[in-house]
Amino acid sequence: MFIQHIIGLFTDPTREWEKIREQYKSGSGSPIGHVLILALIPALSGYFGTTQVGWRIGVGEPIRITGDSALSIAIIYYIALLVGIFSIGWVIHLLGKAYEVVKPLPLCIALAAYTATPLFLIGLMQVYPVLWLNMLMGLPALAYTVYLLYSGLPVMMEISVERGFLYSSAVMAVGLVALVAMLAMTALLWGMGLQPVFTY
Amino acid sequence: MANIETYNYKVVRQFSIMTIVWGLVGMSVGLLIASQLAWPVLNFDIPWLTFGRLRPLHTNAVIFAFGGCALFACSYYVVQHTCHVKLAFPALAAFTFWGWQSVILLAAITLPLGITSSKEYAELEWPIDILITLVWVSYAVVFFGTIMRRRVSHIYVANWFFGAFIITVAVLHVFNSAALPVSFWKSYSAYAGVQDAMVQWWYGHNAVGFFLTAGFLGIMYYFVPKQAGRPVYSYRLSVVHFWALIFTYIWAGPHHLHYTALPDWAQSLGMVMSLILLAPSWGGMINGIMTLSGAWHKLRTDPVLRLLIVSISFYGMSTFEGPMMAIKTVNALSHYTDWTIGHVHSGALGWVALVSMGAMYYLIPRMFGRELYSLKLVEVHFWTATIGIVLYIVSMWVAGIMQGLMWRAVNTDGTLTYSFVESVQAMHPYYIVRALGGAFFLFGAVVMAYNLWRSIADAKPVEVEIPAPTSAH
Repeated sequence: MFIQHIIGLFTDPTREWEKIREQYKSGSGSPIGHVLILALIPALSGYFGTTQVGWRIGVGEPIRITGDSALSIAIIYYIALLVGIFSIGWVIHLLGKAYEVVKPLPLCIALAAYTATPLFLIGLMQVYPVLWLNMLMGLPALAYTVYLLYSGLPVMMEISVERGFLYSSAVMAVGLVALVAMLAMTALLWGMGLQPVFTY
Repeated sequence: MANIETYNYKVVRQFSIMTIVWGLVGMSVGLLIASQLAWPVLNFDIPWLTFGRLRPLHTNAVIFAFGGCALFACSYYVVQHTCHVKLAFPALAAFTFWGWQSVILLAAITLPLGITSSKEYAELEWPIDILITLVWVSYAVVFFGTIMRRRVSHIYVANWFFGAFIITVAVLHVFNSAALPVSFWKSYSAYAGVQDAMVQWWYGHNAVGFFLTAGFLGIMYYFVPKQAGRPVYSYRLSVVHFWALIFTYIWAGPHHLHYTALPDWAQSLGMVMSLILLAPSWGGMINGIMTLSGAWHKLRTDPVLRLLIVSISFYGMSTFEGPMMAIKTVNALSHYTDWTIGHVHSGALGWVALVSMGAMYYLIPRMFGRELYSLKLVEVHFWTATIGIVLYIVSMWVAGIMQGLMWRAVNTDGTLTYSFVESVQAMHPYYIVRALGGAFFLFGAVVMAYNLWRSIADAKPVEVEIPAPTSAH
């Protein structure tokens, strides 16, 4: 079911969104397990990439992070991803009031999680942590995520495309704010002594 | 009514057209210097084409020429329409147009020649500063003169924002530009050392707060309800966040001077005030978004609405990012990196440019009694602009965080892990993506210019009668 949804979102997104909606419409099913698995991809890839492969800036030996240090970073990263998805799902649920379509919370979390699928999958690229390459690969994934949001939200919420456009834009803004908050948190934690330990 | 009067559209028309012209010029210079950072060979070894001289030309052109003309045009239009009266002192209004264009022209000549006061966003030398003051005082006289002649007792909230912007920018400009001339083209600041830095950033941040925020909120409060065809979501909120915004912004400047010679308490005060600023900023965002949200049924037929929605979303995002970056610990990492450049452009491209362009799509065809030539092209503009902004800010986020981390990395023996030039080298791919983002945005602006030009080509300027105020006022 879960794998089918992921494949379907790439082959026939509208139909797949309808299936996802039917699954969570009643409010009984829970997408939490899927989120827990999806978020593992970037966290584990990041751990592997930064400890085993490493990256090179300019000349010299590749830089890696020690196992202990990378483990704690991977755990924080994993938790941050979960908090990100659940809080965006929760905001989608709350925003429903403004757009006069209140849907059950699990459906809203499923919307947030499946929208972010391309980003979770591309997280695999972090096994080879070369930032500029990751950014080049991440941008199409980001673009597809935005497409999934704008095309999926009206289907999931069962509202018109126009109203869905406004709703999606509001979710987009919230997503951007969440991203900035994560950036700021990273800088804060780093500044407070939780920086990674490098090996050379 | 015996005396049939028409609005003064001439000066609005002039400023609107120059908004588009200067927008194209300023953004092209921006694209050139972004490309120079990626490929320094584009300096061509010509002194006046180097980054150091063109960068202030870019900032002055987009902020004061493009943004300034948009503000003049919109405020002159809005104040006439909301006060039901012709613009006061037409000769003085004409002087503000020709005076402002002379200032821009002088900037375009002196800055590439390297004539500069070296104050960021206030680079122009003292003779030009005096001309700016004359133009600005005339602007205030015209604007408030019109308000005083109004035929309705209520002063619409957009005019409050315009008024605050005009007064504050006058005060900021006069105090920050106070200088002792040593020759016609050289002067020294009236302040010394850290006081000079503090006055500079009191000016600098309020150039953002009043020129680029309060003024453009004035634009939002007129053109968003007009385009959406419905009243402001909460008028009470607009008044509350107006007073909160102007009270708070003026204190936020010291966050530009974290960990400098500025006394620590002043830095902390700047940080706290910047954090408080989130509330009034989001008051404005919520009001704009909620006003637009009721107009969802118009979205299919009106792509300009999309431009405005994205613009207000970016306003919300960058006014959240700003307070985050003002936190001292975050600032220790982000300051002097490209994160700051990305932040500025999410506000400048996302908010200021898009809301101005939305207003121009409304204003320019109306000035000539025409409809927009093509809604399809507005859609093209919307998408290219949005993609351009995203490419720009994402590349600058990655670049900025990377710079911050590289500059701060130390070896176990306490020596720096990276030399500065290694961090410069690491920026190359991001600078290419940033230039690409800029190219997208500029392309969108060219599409807009073409669309507007086709809309008004061989059209005659219109004269519009001033309607009598209804009794509801």
